[in-house]
Amino acid sequence: MEKTVIDAHNISKTYNPDTIPVHAVNNVHLHLSSGEFVALVGPSGSGKTTLLNMIGGLDRPDSGSIYINDTDITRLSHKELVKFRLQNIGFVFQSYNLIPVLTARENAEFIMLLQGVSKEKRAERINTLFQQVGLNDKEDVRPAKLSGGQQQRVAVVRALASKPQFVLADEPTANLDTASASNLLDIMARLNEEENMTFIFSTHDQRVIDRARRVITLVDGEIFSDTKMTDKTGLLHSGNAL
Amino acid sequence: MIRSLAWRNIWRNKMRSMVIMLSVAAGLFAGIAVLALYKGMMQSRVRTVIDSETGHLQIHQAGFTSDYDPSLLIPEKKTLQDKLSGDKRIKAYATRCIITGMLSNATGSAGVNINGFNSSEEVAVSQLGDKIQEGNVRWEESEKGILVGRKLAMKMKLEKGNKIVLTLTDTADNLISSAFRIKGIYQSANAPLDEINIYVKNKDLQDLIGLENGIHEIAIKLFEDEQVESVKQDYQMMFPQLQIQTWKEISPETDLLVRTVDTYSYIILVIILIALSFGIMNTMLMSVLERKHEIGMMLALGMSRNRLLLLIILESFFLTMAGIPVAVIAGLGAAGYYEKHGLDLSNMGTDLMESFGFDTMIYPSFPTEKITGIIVLVFITALVSSLLPAWKSLRLDPAEALQK
Repeated sequence: MEKTVIDAHNISKTYNPDTIPVHAVNNVHLHLSSGEFVALVGPSGSGKTTLLNMIGGLDRPDSGSIYINDTDITRLSHKELVKFRLQNIGFVFQSYNLIPVLTARENAEFIMLLQGVSKEKRAERINTLFQQVGLNDKEDVRPAKLSGGQQQRVAVVRALASKPQFVLADEPTANLDTASASNLLDIMARLNEEENMTFIFSTHDQRVIDRARRVITLVDGEIFSDTKMTDKTGLLHSGNAL
Repeated sequence: MIRSLAWRNIWRNKMRSMVIMLSVAAGLFAGIAVLALYKGMMQSRVRTVIDSETGHLQIHQAGFTSDYDPSLLIPEKKTLQDKLSGDKRIKAYATRCIITGMLSNATGSAGVNINGFNSSEEVAVSQLGDKIQEGNVRWEESEKGILVGRKLAMKMKLEKGNKIVLTLTDTADNLISSAFRIKGIYQSANAPLDEINIYVKNKDLQDLIGLENGIHEIAIKLFEDEQVESVKQDYQMMFPQLQIQTWKEISPETDLLVRTVDTYSYIILVIILIALSFGIMNTMLMSVLERKHEIGMMLALGMSRNRLLLLIILESFFLTMAGIPVAVIAGLGAAGYYEKHGLDLSNMGTDLMESFGFDTMIYPSFPTEKITGIIVLVFITALVSSLLPAWKSLRLDPAEALQK
């Protein structure tokens, strides 16, 4: 039986409650298990990023609770939440968000450095991951000299290096060409299988949706459908429109 | 990691960082230059006081300096002189008779301090010979000669060779007058003293007021400035009935001036640093606002606000501290050059400088003893300059910053 990683109960978020209320997320229930490869889809303004931010502890819901493993992150203090994010959640952003003055290796090590992981352990982990994503020869290169695809691969290594509970990827392929996007998805799918790492994507990209094994569609802040696939061909295994 | 990141961050915009570093260096150099100039001026003033006005120490009969009673002569003069002559710490000493009186000529009259002197002693102690502009410090024993200051000579229209009359009271309180011929005109670095001090031979003054061989004052010059207090204590124990004063006690205004100028020089430095802090703050603020997205990302990844605060403070610290070596090296170079060649401030007004007792040729001295204080002040400047940028970055909401 797969272990539950994320268990969100009845979460809602409204922006500008006193002026023009925008119900970004409305009474959402979400249950994710370890090793899932999930795409969160929906039109712009459907609440994907807000939901992702709340799961990632970057934003707090107005109501409801979010359990990551057994911790209700909505009850954590600001300081506890920062520490929780550092230890448990990996992030991959649309615009890579690497630190331009650090080399690829230093960027990849960033979270482990914040965690205080020893030099030897960092080197071992980064060497393995760089080999897996094919960036061995780029580790001393700064982001400005890397292609978009290479930068996003460094960002993926950074997110995975500290072995988080799950990785949140917000539009990770949006700025990549087809070949780079395909290559990145291959890498993430392989890491998902090899390391049993849970990936949650917020995306519009059909290429990502095609590779996802579970697709959750959000419309107007509510889950419209939650579909599980069996394989990469997209063969429907089970699904329901809510 | 934070240290390395901070150092690399300041070089993202090389031109901007270089400008601010050079501003800090220029401002600090200006501050160091002011400190060096003031130190040179104060050293010069102290040297003038010791070398040509008071000596290191002065000995009087107790109570003499209160009203300059001519009857209060130094007792045990011979014993005291023998001790002074045998003391290896003492470079020279001069015996003096001192009385107040009035100098008159056809132009008018002026109140003066009449200093009896022994030329060979005085040349060694107060450099009187070096101050002579016209005439000589030595003349025939039979002549009743007098030395007057340039300022008094101008005021009374006196010239070398003129005859003047000194009126004074003797030890028996009789009013007596005697004619003297001007043998020389001197000028020191202290114009107000030149206006009231005149010099006649000890013997002439002793004969005139009936002192026999008595003296009122012994001025002592030491080999080392640092020995002042120990010499004073030794002689005070040997001659408890005498009043022995150091140059700081005789000229408290000089000591006060040195301490006040020390404080003023720090105030000037602080003003310079406050002005610089706005530039540093502006640069740091631009740097932080340009990196909103990146800072938001670091916060999202789990960087604590304490670490972020440290990062911003370190950036500001590096930006500011980088100017110190440049300023210190430039300050050392400039101070070294002018310490050797001197800085002529006569264009600022010789009269003005001399009226405050300062020489117009200043030899600035690098303020080595103040470098630690300067570094501490710069450190505080860096810290203060980073507060607003740090506050701005700490208030960033990572989710919001990542959207921008």
